[in-house]
Amino acid sequence: MTTLAYADPSPYLPIFFMILAAIGFAVLNIAGSFILGPKRLGDRKGETYESGMTPIGTARKRFNVRFYLIAMVFLVFDVEIIFLYPWAATYTLLDPGSEQSLVWLGRILFFLFTTVVAYLYGYRKGVFKFD
Amino acid sequence: MIEKLAIVWPEIILFATTCVVMLTGQWPVCAVRRMTPWLAAVGLIAAIGAAMASPPSDGLYPDLVPYAKSLVGIMGLMILPLLAGTVDRELEAGVARGERFEPLRSNGAEFYAFFLFSLTGLMLVASSDTLIWLFLALELTSLPTYMMVTLSSRSTRAHEAGVKYFFLGALGAAIFLYGFTLLYGATGSVNIPTIAAHFAEHGLGPIGLAGVLISLIGLFFKIAAVPMHFYTPDVYQGAASPVSAMLAFVPKMAGFMAIFMIVGSAGWGPDGTGLPVPVEALLWVVAAMTMTVGNVLALLQSSVKRMMAYSSIAHSGYMLVGVIAGPGGDGASFWRNGLAAVLFYLLCYGVMNLGVFAVLASLERKGQEADDIDDIRGLVRTHPPLGWSMVICCLALLGFPPLLGFIGKVGLITSGITSGHLALVIILAINSAIAALYYLRLVAAVYLEPASDTGFRPSRYGSRQVAALVSAGGVLVLLLMSNRLITAADDASRYAPVAPETAPYAEAGANN
Amino acid sequence: MSPLWTILLILVPLAGALLVIFGGDGKNAYRDALWASIASLVPAVMMLIRFDYTRAAEFQGAASWTWIEQLGLRLSIGTDSIALLLIALTVLLGPVCVLASKTAITKHRRMYYAWLLILQAAMVGVFASRDLLMFYICFEFTLLPMFVLIRMFGSTNRVAASTKFFLYTFTGSIIALAGLVYVVGFAADLNGAWSLDIGVLTAAAAQMSAGQQAMVLGALLAGFAVKVPLFPVHTWLPLAHTEAPTAGSVILAGVLLKLGTYGIYRFAIPMAPAAFTEYAPAIATLSIVGIIYAGLICWIQDDIKKLVAYSSVSHLGFCVLGLAALNAAGLSGSVLYMLSHGLSTGGLFLMIGFMYERYHTRDMRKVSGLASKMPVWAFFMVFFAMASVGLPGLNGFPSELLCLIGAFQADEAWTLAGEPGAAGVTLGPWYAAVAGLGMVIAAMYLLIMVGRICFGPLVEPEGHHAHAVLPDDLNTREIITLLPLAVGCLVFGFFPGLLLDAIHDPVNQTLELVRAGSAAAADTAGAFTQGVRP
Repeated sequence: MTTLAYADPSPYLPIFFMILAAIGFAVLNIAGSFILGPKRLGDRKGETYESGMTPIGTARKRFNVRFYLIAMVFLVFDVEIIFLYPWAATYTLLDPGSEQSLVWLGRILFFLFTTVVAYLYGYRKGVFKFD
Repeated sequence: MIEKLAIVWPEIILFATTCVVMLTGQWPVCAVRRMTPWLAAVGLIAAIGAAMASPPSDGLYPDLVPYAKSLVGIMGLMILPLLAGTVDRELEAGVARGERFEPLRSNGAEFYAFFLFSLTGLMLVASSDTLIWLFLALELTSLPTYMMVTLSSRSTRAHEAGVKYFFLGALGAAIFLYGFTLLYGATGSVNIPTIAAHFAEHGLGPIGLAGVLISLIGLFFKIAAVPMHFYTPDVYQGAASPVSAMLAFVPKMAGFMAIFMIVGSAGWGPDGTGLPVPVEALLWVVAAMTMTVGNVLALLQSSVKRMMAYSSIAHSGYMLVGVIAGPGGDGASFWRNGLAAVLFYLLCYGVMNLGVFAVLASLERKGQEADDIDDIRGLVRTHPPLGWSMVICCLALLGFPPLLGFIGKVGLITSGITSGHLALVIILAINSAIAALYYLRLVAAVYLEPASDTGFRPSRYGSRQVAALVSAGGVLVLLLMSNRLITAADDASRYAPVAPETAPYAEAGANN
Repeated sequence: MSPLWTILLILVPLAGALLVIFGGDGKNAYRDALWASIASLVPAVMMLIRFDYTRAAEFQGAASWTWIEQLGLRLSIGTDSIALLLIALTVLLGPVCVLASKTAITKHRRMYYAWLLILQAAMVGVFASRDLLMFYICFEFTLLPMFVLIRMFGSTNRVAASTKFFLYTFTGSIIALAGLVYVVGFAADLNGAWSLDIGVLTAAAAQMSAGQQAMVLGALLAGFAVKVPLFPVHTWLPLAHTEAPTAGSVILAGVLLKLGTYGIYRFAIPMAPAAFTEYAPAIATLSIVGIIYAGLICWIQDDIKKLVAYSSVSHLGFCVLGLAALNAAGLSGSVLYMLSHGLSTGGLFLMIGFMYERYHTRDMRKVSGLASKMPVWAFFMVFFAMASVGLPGLNGFPSELLCLIGAFQADEAWTLAGEPGAAGVTLGPWYAAVAGLGMVIAAMYLLIMVGRICFGPLVEPEGHHAHAVLPDDLNTREIITLLPLAVGCLVFGFFPGLLLDAIHDPVNQTLELVRAGSAAAADTAGAFTQGVRP
């Protein structure tokens, strides 16, 4: 039986130092630039463009909702592929015709079924109407 | 691992139903869309049937599955009629006027699908035996509810509630996920019985203890226990009443089953002598705080939904008493069995609480639901069936003998006392009395005070009133059936940690 | 005795309540309720006749059905003579309350009479139950009808009064539930089986260690002392009494307060005998403080109803004092007091109710000399006041006297031949003497009250005009309402022996329990909290 580092925090010590170093680095940089950097404050300095252009309107822009729809459809197929790769890579190692390989086949078929449902859902929703 | 499928048939059935519902809910033909809730009901009934025939699971609570999943299915069936008319109102009205049905604007499919997804997740929690499964199941329970809150109403309050609920939920999930990883780190296994066996053999140790405590703190979010309760009132008030009714039951049930598993892995010790001291201390303090904070703040509310939100917090506190008491040793009767008391109380609470929200959801004024206590004043005179449902459910929530809440509370009190937590039980008793004050306010407002015409009329969606009547009737009928229900809860709570020497160790656990 | 009568006694009022709800409008409600309450007298009389008084300490007419097996909850009934007499008092007050409400209640009559009848059924259930949880369920259930009666039909300050009433008693009794459950757990460990039978629990509870008994006693007293009410937790009572409708006050004084003393007699004493013996002086002191303090408050009251309400606190102090004496005289005096207080104070509340219906005031400063205008009313007023004061020949006298004798003798040094006090109780002459002062104060304030409103020059409130329906003096219905109480007072006053004989056996049995229990507790070590289980 293998127990991973039960009650023994020493393997985590490097991680702890890493975290310390990361925090220290950030703090050092911010503090350093705060202390060392020149400070010239004023109305001009606070504007968006120092060059003198006045910004018009707000920087926030609405995206067309279709972008989101396409992004979602992309996600459906993208995630599917992410799962299919490791599955395909491992499936060849299994004993052909064994019960285990059947189970694996069943799993991926079920997974594909969910994808089909997602596709049908998107289709009915009108996601693929690009007019 | 194919044999594991045998215990997840209810989930499979529900998932298949979800797939169908997702499509029918946005079908262009109106008659097909109307069938959606009925399809969901059929799926739930089939799931209940499958749950009852379920074999024991491999988890710490092998017999939990039939009771928990049937309970989920039954509560789902009771909530389902309440959901009618929550989304797509204007859209359907437009279609009725002859406008074209636009699938992109409709939310019906998603709403019912999320509802079933959430129940699927809840059932998965009951059958989980590894930490990964448990985490995924908890997330599957919660994620749809975030969206349901947002979808449920067009008001900005609902959106705020949804966002708040999502962020705090994510925080909670992050915390218990961290706890789970610590548990894995301490024991080298994600299999919960293996973890329990490991702890039984080697003791908790600092990392294991931290894992248990942090997991519990994260899970407190699900049951809305102090200090993770802040979202409750805003979310319950922001969401439409049908969704609030669901929120009061579904995440709570998930949370309690997960707490059972985490606390169970630390164990109540041989012969139920008690939890490890730090775990017990945490649960004790949280239980006491939760009851008190919930009840005291509920006193100050004039919005019934906020009041019920705080009362939901308080009820979680009561149920934690049962968790602390534990299973009470081998073959202990219901008196000693705190877990059975919690399982039974979850059922009682679900039904009683649903009744109150169903009454609120059944009253409308220009599409707006009743919320303030003034809106339901004199309801017994103006709408007797709704009014009496409210009175019965409030008295039951109060724990007024001989109603359902009383029987449930007696179970918690007896298990608390027989496990030696007299002080906690006294706190529970005093809190019940505080709770009496605000429930009585509701009862008095509904039953005794003269009606003031605020313009609230019973909703066009008659099935919501059916839900109210069914839950009030349930409070009375379940009281008569309590014998069998208690037996079922008692059986379901069988706590069976595997002996250390026979535990399936690390490799077996990791390959699941 | 057949259990049928007891069951009928619970079912008849409930059926009456259904009849009231579904039997037409408000006028029918009064009629139906009256018939139902009169009909329930029949099984009560049958019980009184069929009861075997030679075995008075046994629980007769016993019957039991399982309800919730896992909780050990059974519907189990049976009465000994004390429960029987209290049931009889409850049922007697039923028609009295209905009759007294005919003209006083004009709105929501169906609701009113239905809850009145349900309340009666619940109170009978309390006295008749032999199952702990059934007792508790009935005990708590009495709160709801009373809450509705006060909240819906009370006078101006009714919302506060009803809420306070409910909260005080609910808080107390749920703590008492915790105590009772503790006893059940202890008994289960001892016997190896769950049982909620009061007899089994009482037998097991006496084995608890002194510390455990003290804890249980504290929890039980938290519930029952609020109900009595004992001195520091009495504040809900005057408010509830003042605001309640007349019939509500009658039931509250007549029966509901007795649930507290009955609870102490039936549970607190037998379940924690050693602790009760130990703390008897403290309990007695509290009751004496209550007697004197409430008496003094009565003295300065202008509100007649409040005066009678505080006098209830004072009188119930005697009742608890008798219990704390833990000897035959004290206990039987206390039981007698439970019965007689219901009659005389109930009568006083009725008198005040009748006056209030005519004058719409309870302020002593606004009325006086009513004897000249309402001679019959004044006669009954004086009669019930005298009964309350403890005039020999009326009911108050024997019971108060017995309580005081009990307190006086409850000192080992003063033990009379043939009637030993319980071991270790240290009440004595001083307790009796100070409590006796309470009787003097009671005489003062009640006589002052009677003197001010009945005699002297006739004064009526400004703008008073005759009642639309009621005559100036009492009408026949009102006299019939009062007669059962008045006759009861006379019978109790002249023949207290009848009752004392009836309750002799159960009282002695309780005393036996206490003696055995306090002796046993000394050498029993409690193993319950230490987690040792069979």
